[in-house]
Amino acid sequence: MHFRIRDGVTLDLLPTKQFKTIGIKVDFVAPLQATAITARALLAQVLETSTAAYPTQTALARQLSRLYGASFGISVIKLGTKHVIRLTVSVVDEQYLDQFMDKTPLFEQGMALLRAVLFDPLLPQGNFDPATFTQQRQNLLTAIKSLDDDKQYLANRRLQELLFTGQPAQAMSALGDITTLGELSATAVLQTYHDMLANDAVHVAVIGDVTPERVQTALADWPLAERTVADPSLYYRWEKRDHVQQGDDLAPVVQAKLNLGYQLPVYRDDADFLPAVVFNAAFGGSPLSLLFTNVREKASLAYYASSGYSPFTGTLSVQAGIQAENQDRVVAIIGDQLRALQRGELSAELLAEVKAGLLNARLAGLDSPQRRLTGLLNSQLTHLNEPLKEWQESLAAVTVADVQRVAQKVTLQATYCLHGGAQHAE
Amino acid sequence: MLNKQVYDRLGETIYQTTLTNGLKVILMPKAGFHKTFAIMTTDYGSTDNEFVPRGQTEPIRFPDGIAHFLEHKLFEKKDHDAFDLFGQYGASANAFTSFTQTSYLFSTTSHLKENLDILLDFVQQPYFTAATVNKEKGIIGQEIQMYDDDPGWQSYFGMIGQLYPKEPLHIDIAGTVDTIDKITADDLYAAYNTFYQPSNMSLVVVGQLDPEETLDWVTANQDSKDFGPAEPIKRIPSPQATPADIVPAVTRHLSVTRPKVSIGIRGFNQVPRGRAGLAYSVALSLLFDLLFNDTSDNYLRLYDANVIDDSFGYDFQVQRGAQFAQLAGDTDDPETFISELTAILDDAPAQLKAAESQFELVKREAIGRIIGAINSVEAIANQYDGPLFAGATIFDELATLEGMQFTDLKDVTQTFLTNSQRTTYTILP
Repeated sequence: MHFRIRDGVTLDLLPTKQFKTIGIKVDFVAPLQATAITARALLAQVLETSTAAYPTQTALARQLSRLYGASFGISVIKLGTKHVIRLTVSVVDEQYLDQFMDKTPLFEQGMALLRAVLFDPLLPQGNFDPATFTQQRQNLLTAIKSLDDDKQYLANRRLQELLFTGQPAQAMSALGDITTLGELSATAVLQTYHDMLANDAVHVAVIGDVTPERVQTALADWPLAERTVADPSLYYRWEKRDHVQQGDDLAPVVQAKLNLGYQLPVYRDDADFLPAVVFNAAFGGSPLSLLFTNVREKASLAYYASSGYSPFTGTLSVQAGIQAENQDRVVAIIGDQLRALQRGELSAELLAEVKAGLLNARLAGLDSPQRRLTGLLNSQLTHLNEPLKEWQESLAAVTVADVQRVAQKVTLQATYCLHGGAQHAE
Repeated sequence: MLNKQVYDRLGETIYQTTLTNGLKVILMPKAGFHKTFAIMTTDYGSTDNEFVPRGQTEPIRFPDGIAHFLEHKLFEKKDHDAFDLFGQYGASANAFTSFTQTSYLFSTTSHLKENLDILLDFVQQPYFTAATVNKEKGIIGQEIQMYDDDPGWQSYFGMIGQLYPKEPLHIDIAGTVDTIDKITADDLYAAYNTFYQPSNMSLVVVGQLDPEETLDWVTANQDSKDFGPAEPIKRIPSPQATPADIVPAVTRHLSVTRPKVSIGIRGFNQVPRGRAGLAYSVALSLLFDLLFNDTSDNYLRLYDANVIDDSFGYDFQVQRGAQFAQLAGDTDDPETFISELTAILDDAPAQLKAAESQFELVKREAIGRIIGAINSVEAIANQYDGPLFAGATIFDELATLEGMQFTDLKDVTQTFLTNSQRTTYTILP
């Protein structure tokens, strides 16, 4: 059920008795701007910590415990040309509790908590509490730095930086960059907060055993004014380069992390979108794929070797953990698999298998309340909403020629390898 | 015959039986679900590395990492790979090995019967040759090196290794590049024949299913195979460290941006058997919640003093032959992190008393989390601990939790902490 609450504010309700919980998600969607990413990430971190009514993280945590371990979180996401601040709350449906004495049901209490977080934050002197702000800025700083301890993550970040040289908003992580972060003031983040409340597109979604009336009543006193939301394309389109960007770094790693980045200019609203999804699954997106079979199973060169496709940025990426001295061999095998698909060499068997896998994944997603909630944002932003039956028919209709056509649009743009150098090679 | 247990309040029913060959079968239909998740588990993991092979009389010490190696190799058959058989139906399959168990699983939204046959057949029809075994060594070698580069993994398993310096728990689940090189096809058969007897295994299926029909399918599959009589498993007890063997503090260097500290606490007392073990485990988990979760006064004090941050976490767990707790996090000041947290542990009885008013809150939270987990077919199936707590399910855990009293925590605090030994494992940049 879809409702327009007012201009720029929508509500989706997925009524179901399938789950023991009621899930709530609120997305604040803004244009992706390099200058705003870091402030929005810090804003999310500060809002998540406390509110006026729950002025410490312990007070907030205790309220969540009172709501029978309600889960609550705020995350930031980059999606094409958009930046999303996402609040989620999940509460138990009290009909499954042994004893429930509260006067107010847990769904309404969960909505009240979200209202407190969003509209009544801790602003003692009209600004964020200095101690909280400084501490959370420091925590975000160390969290961003610590992400690099994950070498697979680090190698992928470096690849994105190579792929999007000169495009800071695309190159940057959703958490922002540490230089900007160190300079952010409480006043600047407060301004970001007011901007978000006043100007972002707001998409609320609820899943569980609740009526539209209950949801609308709970939303009625949220002070969200109508807003005019410009709706430029969600998709990040870019000119491909005529040369491949190469990068590598030395790090004290035992295993080399090899990452390749390609342009695949097929976007979510493109007629070739579904063939591109099938292409990715056949290339490296599943354990049946050509990369898994040829890099891992046949050549024994890797434990992980896989690909990922983003229909919002028009990119395809490949990652594998290998011995550094095998890099050329692995790159050659990866290139062979792509060329095979570009020549239309895809067995009917593998095509049928990856399609069956994609259908299985879509149906299985219906059993996850989180995935059903988060999936709604895609349809809200793309304005595409293909019913299951039609999607299934389109998937079934994808041919080897379709996959070949997509494969021919793939161009290598960057390679990156994080490795231990000679002293670490065996 | 299926034993049926109805949980009215939760609107769920669970069915259990043991087949004539000894395989335990647990089935739970989930109304409205599209997916079915099945997991087949043997009570055999990386720590079971010395045993008398079935049909033999003398114990043999097998190379480290053999259980995990066997897990990888079961998928490959003479002329096909089990992954591809699942793939025909779009099902996704996987497997994993822990210290004490090896599990094989799939999730599907169609063709449940066919997928169950594939699971039962690939797990129960081994095919190992020198060529296939050798081919796997490169892949597992890369898997081991991937974890060598993972500081979180190193911190966790490094801490466990310090707590269990003489037991096989100090050995990496996957072994090392050198030990897996020694594994032969004959070794795999010896381990397989000993531990993959149906009487040492369970099959849990949760999701879209009809219990009677599913049981018929499983029974027909099992009746078509001959496993011979179930034979008792003779594991050779591993050497046991004493509290004096545990090195109190170890430091190593890795490529990290900030120090990572892991405090381990090993209980030397006997974990109660059967369902009493479940109650013991639930009570100790609540104790750690009371002392260290984000609703505790300790948490706020240490957070505001920048001793801990959002990376802080803790966990208590019981496995066959082991029980330990972990407190871990990233910190700029490892010494203060260690001294502050161990001070709380040293003062646990008084700390517990001071936190009594928070008990109902912490219990509420734990109850809500378990009920939320019933949304997930994977969580329900993975919650089944097999023989560890006498076949307890997620519903038994919920009932145990709901019946928990504050005084239950006092008893286990005393038993566990007074019989425990600690270690700290610090990773520095």
